Amino acid sequence: MSAAGTSQPVQPVKLSLPLVYQQKLFEELRNEDELVVLARGLGLMRLITNLLHSYDAAGNNLIVVVGADDRENAWIGEALAEHAAISLTPRARGLTLVNTDYTSVGSREKMYADGGIFSITSRILVVDMLTGLLNPESITGMIVLHADRVTATSLEAFILRIYRQKNKAGFLKAFSDNPDPLATGFSPLATTMRNLFLRKVSLWPRFHVHVAQSLEGKKKAEVIELEVPMTESMRTIQNAVMECVEVSIQELKKSNPGLDMEDWNLDSALLKNFDLIVRRQLDPNWHRISWKTKQIVSDLTVLRGMLHSMLALDAVSFLQQLDTIHAAHAPTPGSTRQTQSPWLFLDAAETIFSEAKRRVYSSTQRPGPDTNIDSLRPVLEEQPKWAVLAEVLEEIDRDLFFEPPARDDSNGTILIMCSDANTCRQLRDYLQTMHVKPRTEKKVEEFYDPARDKPSAAFMMRRKLRNYLRWKREFAQVSAQLFAENQRAVTGAVDPRLGRRGPPPNKRRRVRGGGAVGAAAGRLENGSIAQYFEKPGEVAELMAEVQITEEEARQKEDVVADPLEDMDDYYQLYDMQDLVVIHPYEGDQDEHVLEEVKPRYIIMYEPDAAFIRRVEVYRSSHNDRNVRVYFLYYGGSVEEQRYLSAVRREKDAFTKLIKERASMSLTITTDAHGGPEDPQEAFLRTINTRIAGGGKLATSATAQPPRVVVDVREFRSSLPSLLHGRGITIVPCMLTVGDYVLSPTVCVERKSVSDLISSFKDGRLYSQCEAMFQHYKNPALLIEFDQNKSFTLEPFADLSGSASSVSAANAGAADLQGKIVLLTLAFPKLRILWSSSPYESAEIFERLKSLEGEPDPIAAVRAGLDGDEEGGGTLKPGGAQQQIFNQVPQDMLGNVPGVTPKNIMNIVLVTENIKEVANMTVEELDPLVGKAAARKICGFFAKDLLEDE
Amino acid sequence: QVLPTGGRGSGSSILVSPRQKGNPVLACLKSVPWEYSDILADYGLGLTTCALFLSLKYHRLHPEYIYTRIRNLQGKYNLRVLLTLVDIPNHEDSLRELSKTSVVNGVTVVLAWSAAEAARYLELYKAYEHAGFAAIRGQQAEGYAERLVEFVTVPRNINKADAVALVSSFGSLRHAVNATPDQISAVSGWGEKKVRAWCKAVEEPFRVRK
Repeated sequence: MSAAGTSQPVQPVKLSLPLVYQQKLFEELRNEDELVVLARGLGLMRLITNLLHSYDAAGNNLIVVVGADDRENAWIGEALAEHAAISLTPRARGLTLVNTDYTSVGSREKMYADGGIFSITSRILVVDMLTGLLNPESITGMIVLHADRVTATSLEAFILRIYRQKNKAGFLKAFSDNPDPLATGFSPLATTMRNLFLRKVSLWPRFHVHVAQSLEGKKKAEVIELEVPMTESMRTIQNAVMECVEVSIQELKKSNPGLDMEDWNLDSALLKNFDLIVRRQLDPNWHRISWKTKQIVSDLTVLRGMLHSMLALDAVSFLQQLDTIHAAHAPTPGSTRQTQSPWLFLDAAETIFSEAKRRVYSSTQRPGPDTNIDSLRPVLEEQPKWAVLAEVLEEIDRDLFFEPPARDDSNGTILIMCSDANTCRQLRDYLQTMHVKPRTEKKVEEFYDPARDKPSAAFMMRRKLRNYLRWKREFAQVSAQLFAENQRAVTGAVDPRLGRRGPPPNKRRRVRGGGAVGAAAGRLENGSIAQYFEKPGEVAELMAEVQITEEEARQKEDVVADPLEDMDDYYQLYDMQDLVVIHPYEGDQDEHVLEEVKPRYIIMYEPDAAFIRRVEVYRSSHNDRNVRVYFLYYGGSVEEQRYLSAVRREKDAFTKLIKERASMSLTITTDAHGGPEDPQEAFLRTINTRIAGGGKLATSATAQPPRVVVDVREFRSSLPSLLHGRGITIVPCMLTVGDYVLSPTVCVERKSVSDLISSFKDGRLYSQCEAMFQHYKNPALLIEFDQNKSFTLEPFADLSGSASSVSAANAGAADLQGKIVLLTLAFPKLRILWSSSPYESAEIFERLKSLEGEPDPIAAVRAGLDGDEEGGGTLKPGGAQQQIFNQVPQDMLGNVPGVTPKNIMNIVLVTENIKEVANMTVEELDPLVGKAAARKICGFFAKDLLEDE
Repeated sequence: QVLPTGGRGSGSSILVSPRQKGNPVLACLKSVPWEYSDILADYGLGLTTCALFLSLKYHRLHPEYIYTRIRNLQGKYNLRVLLTLVDIPNHEDSLRELSKTSVVNGVTVVLAWSAAEAARYLELYKAYEHAGFAAIRGQQAEGYAERLVEFVTVPRNINKADAVALVSSFGSLRHAVNATPDQISAVSGWGEKKVRAWCKAVEEPFRVRK
């Protein structure tokens, strides 16, 4: 509080906030606690680091940053160190990171006592605050990033509640650069404010007066928009994909008439995450919708990915991706039309595959109906943006040549921004090889002579095609092994094609001009499209054609850098002046890129609204740096639509927020929710008059507040937060048995419905129940449904009433209910608690707690540790937080054949990670799991799909 | 559909108390034979298993009824199922109370949302009377392809198509596990996020170091 009290920044602190709006915002933040929503690209991180530095410089603080991800942590740490070096503040200590990996309980306690700025993983922070390791009263202030993610039941809200209960004086500032989630739902802003315990919100859209003034002054950045038309076949593919999307959506509407699907149309399909929107709408009924609907929803994701990769990838890579998608979605043998993805049955799907192939190669028309050999000829369509990019670079070149050398501070560097690392690699490849001619030149020296040869990607595309053909051959084999069954069906469908039809009149197989002739070709018996594999003869020919013309060009491969070589190394060879830097968009990181590269020219290969703002901020912040931006996009494409709608949505969101702020009633007091509630009330709530008229009160309620021992891993769910909200003391412990211990006899294992299904599947639940019965008298299984989802289980798989449907032999394939039946039969004393939401669970817990005494945390921790057969007790010393396991690698290991819930612990305790297990030999694994299992594990990893057979 | 059987308490049929006459659940009991019998519980599902039937609608009108019934069972069966039909929208209060009751009185609550579902539970209890528990002790998928896909798709973001692409470009899993991030990102469909998730999962230690 000492630092926040002085409203003026302390004198020696040097800030790096050159623009008016940044300074105003900073002043505001120093004076008040508030939620800041800043439009993306306006430099949120810069503001935060400056703010943190101003506190850091004052010293003697304990400031906690909540919700920062790895990248942000790195940035904050770097920026604080830099600031400290610039302003020469002796008391600044920089950022301390706290995540379990490297800090133990003891060292954390010491670090907290020393003070400074901490960025702490939420799960650790909440446990530390509850256990008193970090005393909330000693915190000077909290900074919350990604405030839009704070919901009532989230861990962050829980942290803030604990903080505000104990500490009224410390400051609390929340930040967000994503207004969208704050503007959806019912009075979302007010709700968020309540969750954040804040009363003031400060909104800074791009159209804010100060922002606009700062960015639209004399020093405006020069932007040149270039609309690039798509090629005919790209448009055809896009239309075909859109048709598939439309049909899928119609199919959804048909099978789910009860749902509100007003805005499920093609337009929303263009949005970035329409599949998520659909998913969210279906969520309340997710257990109950048909398998087919689920299939369609996942199809939508695939189709959306296709739309993007069609624009981003080159023709060959796109075809390769389609092949993979196709193989993964291939129909399982014996499946019928009903169980297939509907879009695979459309003509449009056919168009997608054939058109994508035609962009890469097509068959030549050879006269003579009796030549049975199709010959293929490479087409290798180039992405239209490549040519434009080359033109732009040329123009810049001319510009640099004719105009006087730069008088400003910029480097004369050309910065090319694109959406991801893959595109980066593609562009680099292209730029390196665009003047390499496969056929004509033999001299490397003729490399740079733009006047004579037009840039083309032929060289690169040919190389890609060669790789593709090689890959395809292997892929055919792999997929034959993986999907052996399907394969048989496929060959059954493809081979007769030749026999039945004789020599095809049109050599372009699967491209059917309009022929009734080919209507059945390339399709499986059930009507879905067959995977296409060229005959070896065709491939060889195509290969030969690419190969021969390549021979001269091949010599140059030494000159051309290895495509997989590290980018940094590659570019270090050059002088900053004539450098072309290609970089992917990386959110806030881009500011660093701009500052470091100081580009004179920027080419935005793909549109990104935030980056344009970043350039504006960059330009306005530096008087002496001129910037010209070229902005490329495909006209009439999904890309363009997406960009426009993103801009529009952000604007709408801000408008909504401003409206809500205007009408928001500010009667909310933080006390109502965050302050300690009336102790008397809390006390009365714990009395249950049904039991001896509240007579038990003296022992249970007054002596100590109600208490629940919670496993630290359970802090991912919202239940601990809700229990705490009901005035129950949470004791976080590392539990081996159970998730929640309510009393000395009652222990609860919590399962969400999806958890329940998966833990039945791998047998985890069975062993967990066994363990609970070893240590507690009244174990219970809490089946918790989601708040917003329906409170029913999936309907029975088979209600037909046939005798076989209930036969015991079928138990393995039983549905969820059948498994519940088995579980209760196996554990007749296991109680099942059904809860429709986490809120309900909290209520149920409270009721159960009123029955009995308080649990003993030490006993709870110890349960399962002594005499633990499967864990090797010696390696797991008692006490909280000693041994924490990473879930993901363990889950992966659990899926390896030969690994069972019994022997998994042996492996995990001895080996380091998956990589190590994968490289172990049978002999090494033998002592851990036994011979048979070791052989299985080894076989699984070593099985080589390319060599076998 | 009262099937003639050899005698009372025969092993293969569900015993139904005459109190249940008129319960729509009986109409849905199709795949397992049942017969009326004079038993304490509503349904006898085996030597050690019985079930009491409770409709929440009825429970709301007569909250004391179920306690009497549970008391009358006198702890006779090993597994006492309280088969509850959720037929009212505001079930929260009643369920909270039943949860507590189940812990206090030692009955197991099983919820059903329709008469057909309730009947199915009864049938399953009878059919599984002598079944083994292998089905819930965890069994593993059979084929290499399934296991492979399951293994690769554990980290979030990675889907089936990615798994196929990964193995098809590296040949074996061991190669895929040992590949560098750069090599993996050359696989079609593997974007930055997926590569990072995969590498993290493969290299992340099983145990968190202190």
